[in-house]
Amino acid sequence: MKLRFILTGLLLISSVFTVFAEPDFDQILIEIDKLGSFEDTDFSCVYTFVSEKPGEETEVTQARMFRRDASEQFVMLILKPEYQKGQGYLKVDENVWFYDPESRKFTHSSMKENVQNSEAKNSDMDGLSLAEDYEVDSWELGKLGNFDTYILSLKALNDEVTYPRLKVWVRTDATIVLKEEDYSLSDRLMRTTYFPKYVKVGMRYVPSQILIVDNLQEGEKTQMTMKNPSTADLPDSVFSKAYIERVNN
Amino acid sequence: MRDVKMAFRNLTRQKKRTVLLAAAIAFGIYIITMINGFTGSFIENVSENFSNLMAGHIFIEGVEKSETGKTLSLVRNDDVLMSAIEETETPWKYITKRSDMNVTLIFEGETAHQTVTGADWESEEYFKERIILTQGTFADLQAERQGIILSDKVADKLNIQLGDRVIVKCQTYTGQQNVGEFVMTGMLVDSSLFGGSAAYANIGYVNELLNLQPNEYMSMGIYLEDPNLIDDTAVSLYEDLKFKVDVFERNTEDDDENPIIAMLEQADEEEWDGLRFRLVTLNDVMKEVQQIVDVLNTAALIILLVLFAIIMVGVTNTFRMVLMERTKEIGTMRAVGMQRGIVRKLFLYEAFFIAVIGVIVGLILASITMLILMQINWGLETPAFMLMKNGYMTFKLPAWQVLLNFGIVSVLTLFAAFFPSNKAAGLQPADALRSTK
Repeated sequence: MKLRFILTGLLLISSVFTVFAEPDFDQILIEIDKLGSFEDTDFSCVYTFVSEKPGEETEVTQARMFRRDASEQFVMLILKPEYQKGQGYLKVDENVWFYDPESRKFTHSSMKENVQNSEAKNSDMDGLSLAEDYEVDSWELGKLGNFDTYILSLKALNDEVTYPRLKVWVRTDATIVLKEEDYSLSDRLMRTTYFPKYVKVGMRYVPSQILIVDNLQEGEKTQMTMKNPSTADLPDSVFSKAYIERVNN
Repeated sequence: MRDVKMAFRNLTRQKKRTVLLAAAIAFGIYIITMINGFTGSFIENVSENFSNLMAGHIFIEGVEKSETGKTLSLVRNDDVLMSAIEETETPWKYITKRSDMNVTLIFEGETAHQTVTGADWESEEYFKERIILTQGTFADLQAERQGIILSDKVADKLNIQLGDRVIVKCQTYTGQQNVGEFVMTGMLVDSSLFGGSAAYANIGYVNELLNLQPNEYMSMGIYLEDPNLIDDTAVSLYEDLKFKVDVFERNTEDDDENPIIAMLEQADEEEWDGLRFRLVTLNDVMKEVQQIVDVLNTAALIILLVLFAIIMVGVTNTFRMVLMERTKEIGTMRAVGMQRGIVRKLFLYEAFFIAVIGVIVGLILASITMLILMQINWGLETPAFMLMKNGYMTFKLPAWQVLLNFGIVSVLTLFAAFFPSNKAAGLQPADALRSTK
């Protein structure tokens, strides 16, 4: 009787530990990065940005994107609007170049810059490196819509990442990010990003619809929609200045 | 002397013609003197206004390379700079320590991009005297840690008033996003010719937004007692610093290359550990402006030559008419013994007198115009503020420039009159007397 009582007690304690045991968040961050990064293949798609600003007309920008995450290369060509057509971004290692077809010149740019007039940043279209740049500072369980989520507060591990602190909502049943909040160094909420739709590209789930809300400028938001995703091999020449110049001729 | 008197008398015989010729020359001299006077003070005024706005004649910035190769701008410890200033006996009047950042200001749905300069206003009395505020005071700014002085244009764009709190979106010195709030404590007149005026805030809060320590800053400005000492002082300081710390090379191989751009390129291309200093002078900044002045002066010289080419055609024609009118008179004078050389001299003296009268009148008119323009206060809100001295136009005309213009005009006028005068001197007395013209 005594033994059964002890065993029952141990079972109860272990079940409590199982429920409240901290998941391996480092692993979750690595998995999020893996989902958002194409290390083993190239990746290309077309993004449409619909930007809304109070008192201004809705602006639509379309861009074709090519990524080779294994070598940190990135090319984005603006397709719409007509007056910005041909502008392009090229990232090779840490260098980002912006090409203006009017002046036919490349100038230094940054992944931290916004895509045209939208709320999206160049880095939003690049591969993720959460595990490398952030650590989980705290976490809690929560619900977002119908989904159970881990709400992870991330703290930057270096002082060069765009946002010193992030809060991400990750589904508990699958490593899929549903929402992200970006905070300034002064801990002020700057931007909220929603990932309502994902599509399967190869073995990965990639967000096909992203909504970015500017929390500092009320009413400003950008919706990004992804189309024509592909993991087909891209020629090396795509990731060069010559290619961006050539597509303009 | 008799020839000179005769030449002078001849001028009064056809007053209208003389006046018209002199007026044409006077107009040319007037234009060229105005341009020369303006460009003469251009570099001085722009230089002084720049030194006031940038708070210094010599600037020293600290530059670090981050682990990822990014260039970071900051001075962590300025002991070595202060000791170099002391050891080289730099004749400084003020030393300023400032931090700057590019921000987006957000107020009730409106946004404005702005450069914000953070300074310790207690030690910037000189600068404060030169910034005219239309609302608020620097004392208000110093009293409010998060205070900011904005230009009227930015305040209008944001529709903001004194006491309003405005959100500021910026990046730290390493490039992280940061957000803060400024309180508008003052308004100044946007007096910039080259882009938007800076906004001014307290360095303590600017450093906090930049994630710099309170004792750190981005650039030191040294305001010298005499701006003429900029180059010599910079050389001494640079040589002293070179022995103590890591500094960017100042001597560029290409003389046409701007030294500031050369140093910025060095920062991008080179790798180093720790802090490296960049020494820049106002004269380096003004190199581009000097090019504008050179272009203006060249254009002025071309205008002078074109204008006088036209005027000289008029002078030549006039003297040919004079020759025709006075053929018989010349024949008479020659018949009574006047030498060819004297006939030639008479014509040339006349031309020279016209040139002298034209130059004097032109200079007088230009001087009067300059004096009038110098009395007008154009205000500090004019876009041409940078070209003026405290809102007033100034002109600087070196004596050599006046003499050069006078010399050019005299030579050209004499040249224009030379051929008719030569023809007059070559007339045979009998032929001249027979002339029916």
